[in-house]
Amino acid sequence: MLVKAARAHQLYLHNNPTYLRALEIARAAFAPIWEVTDELVFDVTETELRWYGDAVLRESEKATDNIPWMMYKDGIRELRFLKEFEHHELVPLLDILQRARKVSPEEDDLLTMLWEQEFSYLRYRYIDLSTDQAAPIDKAGFRGGEAGTQALQESAPPIDSTLASVVKLEDFDSTLYFLEDTEVEYLREEVRKEYEVDMRRNVVAMLLDTYETQGDNSVREEIAALLDTLMLHILSSGEFKTAAFLLRETAQTSERAPGITPDQKDQLVRIRERLSEPDVLAQILQSLDEASQLPDQEDLNELFDQLRVRALATVFSWLSKAQTPRLRVLLENAAARLAMANTAELVKLIGSSDREVSREAIRRAGAVRATAAVAALAKLTTDPDVPVRLAAVQALGEIGSPGALQFLERTIDDAHRDVRVATARAIAAKAHRPALPKIEAAIQGKLAKDANLTEKMAFFEAFGTLCGDPGIKLLDGVLNSRGLFGKKEDPELRACAAMALGRVGSEAAIATLRRASTEKDVLVRNAVNRALRGGAA
Amino acid sequence: MTAPERAVIDRTSANASSSDISGDPYIRRMGRSFIIALHGATRAIRLYPVENEAVKKALDELTSVTTEILTREGEFELRVTSEFIFINQTRLRLDLDNYASFTQILSLFRAAGVGIARVMPGVWPRDWLVFLSALQAPSEGEAEDRFVDVAERLQAGGVTLVEIAPPSGVDDDGDFRERAKEAAKRTYSQSVAATKDVINSVRMGRGVNLKKIKRVVQGIVDQILNEETSLLGLTTIRDYDEYTFTHSVNVCIFSVALGRRLGLSKRQLYDLGLAALFHDVGKSRVPLDVLNKVEQLNDTDWRYIAAHPWMGLLTLFQLRGQQELPYRAMTVAYEHHMKCDLTGYPKNVRPRTLSIFSKIVAVADGFDAATSRRVYNTDVLSPAAVLAGMRDNPRRGFDSVVVKAFINLLGIYPVGTLVVLDTFELAIVHSANPNPEAVSRPIVRIVSDERGNVAYPGRNVDLTEQNADGGYLRTIIKTENPDRYGITVGDYFV
Repeated sequence: MLVKAARAHQLYLHNNPTYLRALEIARAAFAPIWEVTDELVFDVTETELRWYGDAVLRESEKATDNIPWMMYKDGIRELRFLKEFEHHELVPLLDILQRARKVSPEEDDLLTMLWEQEFSYLRYRYIDLSTDQAAPIDKAGFRGGEAGTQALQESAPPIDSTLASVVKLEDFDSTLYFLEDTEVEYLREEVRKEYEVDMRRNVVAMLLDTYETQGDNSVREEIAALLDTLMLHILSSGEFKTAAFLLRETAQTSERAPGITPDQKDQLVRIRERLSEPDVLAQILQSLDEASQLPDQEDLNELFDQLRVRALATVFSWLSKAQTPRLRVLLENAAARLAMANTAELVKLIGSSDREVSREAIRRAGAVRATAAVAALAKLTTDPDVPVRLAAVQALGEIGSPGALQFLERTIDDAHRDVRVATARAIAAKAHRPALPKIEAAIQGKLAKDANLTEKMAFFEAFGTLCGDPGIKLLDGVLNSRGLFGKKEDPELRACAAMALGRVGSEAAIATLRRASTEKDVLVRNAVNRALRGGAA
Repeated sequence: MTAPERAVIDRTSANASSSDISGDPYIRRMGRSFIIALHGATRAIRLYPVENEAVKKALDELTSVTTEILTREGEFELRVTSEFIFINQTRLRLDLDNYASFTQILSLFRAAGVGIARVMPGVWPRDWLVFLSALQAPSEGEAEDRFVDVAERLQAGGVTLVEIAPPSGVDDDGDFRERAKEAAKRTYSQSVAATKDVINSVRMGRGVNLKKIKRVVQGIVDQILNEETSLLGLTTIRDYDEYTFTHSVNVCIFSVALGRRLGLSKRQLYDLGLAALFHDVGKSRVPLDVLNKVEQLNDTDWRYIAAHPWMGLLTLFQLRGQQELPYRAMTVAYEHHMKCDLTGYPKNVRPRTLSIFSKIVAVADGFDAATSRRVYNTDVLSPAAVLAGMRDNPRRGFDSVVVKAFINLLGIYPVGTLVVLDTFELAIVHSANPNPEAVSRPIVRIVSDERGNVAYPGRNVDLTEQNADGGYLRTIIKTENPDRYGITVGDYFV
């Protein structure tokens, strides 16, 4: 029953009915035992728990998951359950068994956990496999021998010994030695702080202080190696803020340590270099992606701020790989900061041969409005790959500088519709008037024949945004005029013209729209009404 | 049977007897509730009229706790000796959170001349009311008279479910003491052996078995929580040849005992103990000829000595084999020679706040070092003088509150101090008096007759003992140098 309860404790949430049932059954199993005895004593062997020599639990092998072996390997040889154990301490024991299963052999062992818990209804005997028999203390084992027998008066030498003294009681006012409330509070506060302080950070500071005060080469080499080791411990414990501290302070030490040699400096700097290496950083990001708990954004940012700029490529490549949505968000934000601070690297990455990295760099260049990236992005507007061209156009639109928009004029008649639509929208968004002739040419040209509604709408809206009243005539012609046989234009084109008029928004444009307000075609009428309501704005 | 198996069985039996001393954990836990309830009821009766709701509530609580123990155990015996409180043969622990209750109850029973109270099933709040009222209104005169007075009051009050008996003397706890002393000796010797092994391993650059150290520190924490006097007594062993190891163990014992007084949890005591045990581990990198140098140390030697804190920091990285590095121990090893104003050594470059653990270990280290005779320090000071110096000399740079708590722990005559009494007897301070008001009247072991003839093993007396006139039977007049009388203080604790 105990094993089943332990299994249930491991597998289920603690409000799960299956778990609660398993506990209930385990508790009930003790009841008949307490009718005949007040304690239940098991001998622990490698694979068995024995009661009076009979195995009551037998496991087939010495696996870390098996209760007898877990106990045996830590030296436990006897378990003694006292009456009422099941009501008071069953759950704490199950907790400990679960924790003990998970810990690595180097962490707190089962004995330490049991020791810390202070069970009242569970006792255990253990052997300490690691402790040698200590020599017993006896008088002969230590300095000095039997106390002599000397008469006080006879043996006393002149009183010059530092040990002989009269203690003045007035010096020791007894009330002094009761701690005042404020003193007790001070001590409690100190203990609280002791357990709140970041010990790793403290150790980093101590190592670097020592580095700066000790000029000996071997000491400095040792400390540099320890910092390297420590960095691993810090990262594996997820203390990114501390890792950032280590990098920041190491950099400072490498600049100011008295008499530091180039070799010593290199050794210190190498820690940051190594962490910025794609392979190493990818390992960190991989472990983050698999971690149950993620660091705070601020902590991650702090660490990334300390990395070499080449880390940016690794972070970019991981944005699409990360499986955990929250990690993606964290990386997005961290990448944005990095990109903002390192536009030169960003521009470099736009041309990366790694498509993922390049695409992310393009996106980031737009997001941070990196005007320095315009030339690199413009180059990509002729890339044979449509997604690359599209991303470049969007980024140029986001940057929105005159130079960027000038390059967009070239993609108005790109071979791919998505690129054209993105161009039209970007031009509209930035109200880039120099593009008006090309937009006008597009809506008057092949757009009417080949484009779908999305493209038509994008171009007409761009036209409406840029043309002003001079463009109303063209739009009115599309919306309201009849052709040779009294036939009106295609309803999709008319609806687009209505939306464009809405973008113009002047009185003349409104008047033109009103004339079409009684239109019978639903698509056109809805577009007109929407434009009149300002929906196109 | 193979030799290793024999060792295993021996160890098992050693642990068994060790756990006997700790007593029943249930009683320890419930005993704490009982002590707090008893103290609460006593206070309520003293402060309010009996019909007051606070009195009623406190008596109900006391009755409830007692009944619960009676129901489980079938008996309830409260035994109060000069230093300890037992319930059903289990000695209760003294902690910071029950310190006031504990000492008040000791004083109350002592003043009333009552040593034992047996409570029978069916006890009522009224029984407790009568008993506690009688305890708080003792008559004058000898202890026997005061006891008779309380007994008569109980009888007059119709209380039959609380029976009392007088105390049976200071050595009433003889059995307990003996077992505690044996357990303490075992813990101490294992600790010294393990510490020696670890420090030698470090010196030789071998791997360190940290599990061994864990067990050692856990043993010290258990011992301090169960009965600190015996282990504190063993710190008086000043082994000339094994100084490095005994010093580490002593500092660990003092630190844990002090930490307990400061209210640290069991886990925190373990952390503190581990840090304290390793505080001087950096000395494993200092050449032995420097450590053992008899002559004046030269500048190079001093540089080595002053380097041991940061060397300790580096050395503790050697304690691999564990997932988590011992950061707290590293901090303590590094900071234990820093003063509160951050002077001392090593020198700081970055801003820092001293850890409270470092402050505790600094005090424990300072005390043990100053009271130990070593190759290069033959003029040791008396423990009392050391404490006074730590308290009064701000240049020493100790935390004044921690020093105060340390003096509170050891008394102004620390354990192991040789004193001369006004009866001309020599005595060794055995433990601080459990009555915190009697800071100058510790429990002492008389080790000579009035003519100075030294005797072994001596006998314990409580210096608060009074004669019929209310005068003290014995009073300390001064401290003395044990060497003058050929006395090895440690022998009396072994």
